[in-house]
Amino acid sequence: MFGYTFQWNQALARLPKMLDGAVVTMEVAVLSMLIGIAFAILLTLLRLSGSRPLRAIATGWVEIARNTPALFQIYMAHFGVASFGIHFSPFISLLIGITFNNAGYLAENFRGALKAIPDTQTRAGRSLGMSQLQAFRYIILPQMLRISFLPMTNQMVWAVLMTSLGVTVGMNSDLYGVTQDLNALTFRTFELFAIAGVIFYIITKAITLSARLIAARLFRY
Amino acid sequence: MKKTIMATALIAATGFAGAAQADKLDDIIASGTLRCAVVLDFPPMGMRDANNEPVGFDVDYCNDLAAALGVTAEIVETPFPERIPALMSGRVDVGVASTSDTLERAKTVGFTIPYFAFEMAVTANDGAGIASYEGMKGHTVGAVAGTYEAIALEKQVQEWGEGEFRPYQTQADVFLALSQGQLDATVSTSTVAMANVKTGNFPGISVVGKAPFDTDYVALFTSRNEYGLINYLNLFVNQQIRTGRYAELYEKWVGGDLPDLTVPNAYR
Amino acid sequence: MFDTALTTADLIFLAKGAGMTILVTAISVAIGTALGIAFGVIRVQFGAALTAPLTFVLDIFRSVPLLIQLVLANAFLGMVLKLQLSGFFVACMVLSLYTSAYCAEIVRGGIDAVPATTRRAARSLGVSWGQDMRYIVLPLATRVALPSWIGLALGVMKDSALVYVVQVTELLKSTQILITRLQEPLFLLMIGGAFYFLISFPLARFGGYLEKRWSND
Repeated sequence: MFGYTFQWNQALARLPKMLDGAVVTMEVAVLSMLIGIAFAILLTLLRLSGSRPLRAIATGWVEIARNTPALFQIYMAHFGVASFGIHFSPFISLLIGITFNNAGYLAENFRGALKAIPDTQTRAGRSLGMSQLQAFRYIILPQMLRISFLPMTNQMVWAVLMTSLGVTVGMNSDLYGVTQDLNALTFRTFELFAIAGVIFYIITKAITLSARLIAARLFRY
Repeated sequence: MKKTIMATALIAATGFAGAAQADKLDDIIASGTLRCAVVLDFPPMGMRDANNEPVGFDVDYCNDLAAALGVTAEIVETPFPERIPALMSGRVDVGVASTSDTLERAKTVGFTIPYFAFEMAVTANDGAGIASYEGMKGHTVGAVAGTYEAIALEKQVQEWGEGEFRPYQTQADVFLALSQGQLDATVSTSTVAMANVKTGNFPGISVVGKAPFDTDYVALFTSRNEYGLINYLNLFVNQQIRTGRYAELYEKWVGGDLPDLTVPNAYR
Repeated sequence: MFDTALTTADLIFLAKGAGMTILVTAISVAIGTALGIAFGVIRVQFGAALTAPLTFVLDIFRSVPLLIQLVLANAFLGMVLKLQLSGFFVACMVLSLYTSAYCAEIVRGGIDAVPATTRRAARSLGVSWGQDMRYIVLPLATRVALPSWIGLALGVMKDSALVYVVQVTELLKSTQILITRLQEPLFLLMIGGAFYFLISFPLARFGGYLEKRWSND
């Protein structure tokens, strides 16, 4: 039918290696998400703070993360910062790049979520004797995370997809890197990348499904 | 009006009939263009001049081939990992891309007889204190993803059991990482190593010795089933050597002792 | 600030890359939006069950890395179907479908945001489906969808940095080519990054402004 002979067994024989790669991909995505959320909360606080320079730094971070390609951010985290003599391994560079991106996007989501929470709640907390930080920690933060849960799930999917950019900074242990290495050995491009695509699809579906389950459990009203 | 349509249809029909029988060699000659996959961050084989135009041994080789075929050459830049995909997807006709003729790859593409041969050299960052191939043990080393030397070096690092191997997408990234100190050493073809060190673009790196890998014979490649074209390419490579053009190009781009492209005690 | 070997010719080279980025983005966003509107309307009109296959296919474009989509499309069209297509064509095709997948979601969200009662009221006044879509749904849904759509278009521009993988020399690839020759990674990367930022930032701000303006009335 096609002028091309598929050699699926050649590619399938390499499936275990690719699954190992999928584990690394998940590691990077989960870590970048956890650290990214922490930084996003910090950025949100900075953007609320009274200090002009702190607000500027936070806004700068968010805008650069949102307005330049992720590939650029990751490349910068490896080759760019090395111009200052700072060296990160491919894994760390990729992690930094994606975390930077995650934090920027999530901070923007958090800001949107904050608008949905009335100011009066903070004031009510304050009048009950809470400090500003306590009011944020116990009243605002939980609601903010709940409202942002869906965007956070989307960002997690993005994080998984972004790991494929690690090859540009010398990463070869993640799913895309492993696939590319195998492709260089065998040149079964279509078969190998089709399998990688299916694995990515399964991972992202697993994330959205489990997020839905978690949401159903956590956010019952 | 009707006549023109008829005539067009007739021409189209004969054109299709012709296309059905024509092989790639015919297609190239008919189209008037030879599209070569060339890696352009691989000096002196392929690089860009001050006007960002492609130059180098492989570029000249493609131009010679196009001249022999009586067509114009079109250089399609392909990073190392994209060479074969570019061919397989019909984006190029022939790869003139310093491609090692491994058996694994020959399952997918058709190789000619070797048109060039590389020795492998170790280039190290001066700060790493590496003086030989063995000296790389335990260090962070790298090479271009998907190349002969990358595959051999990664295997070596696994055998040593210490140190780290990193594949980068392009030769430029490897030397950039090396001069930035992100890599302690790299194994590359000696011609590339010499050319890169000579440019002065990368301070603080030097060639420290040979890598004990087998001679890396590289060949032109095209689709596996295009025997007519492969046959032509084989004769072309042979003619390049016979006419002294190979030696001339070698002197122009590389210089020094001309590599022998034959394997002792073997037919091909 | 930097002592650079960058020449005017190099800047023109970068500008060409930037032009390619804009061209690929413009084509993909235009086609992708048209397709996305069609897919979005079909999904709302025919219900989830009937359009499940469409939803599934579109979902793939949002669940697999764009890099893999490009490599696969390139390999499938060229290696398997033996079609002689330029990298530019493949890049635009994949990016268009990629855009349409996200755009369909935005359109669906926009239409869903129009209260069903409003539409029923219109229909009961004798308005046809086409008129309903044109005069009721379009203006109301646009208010919800346009800010997200601007975000999507900018996202596509940033993601177009990946089309280097099918031999299209866009802005980031041009930058890398110059890094190869000039070895000034930081400086060149900053030029490339600044370009994306200068296009994206004002438009993103404009989208935010629209969102704010339209959500309050």
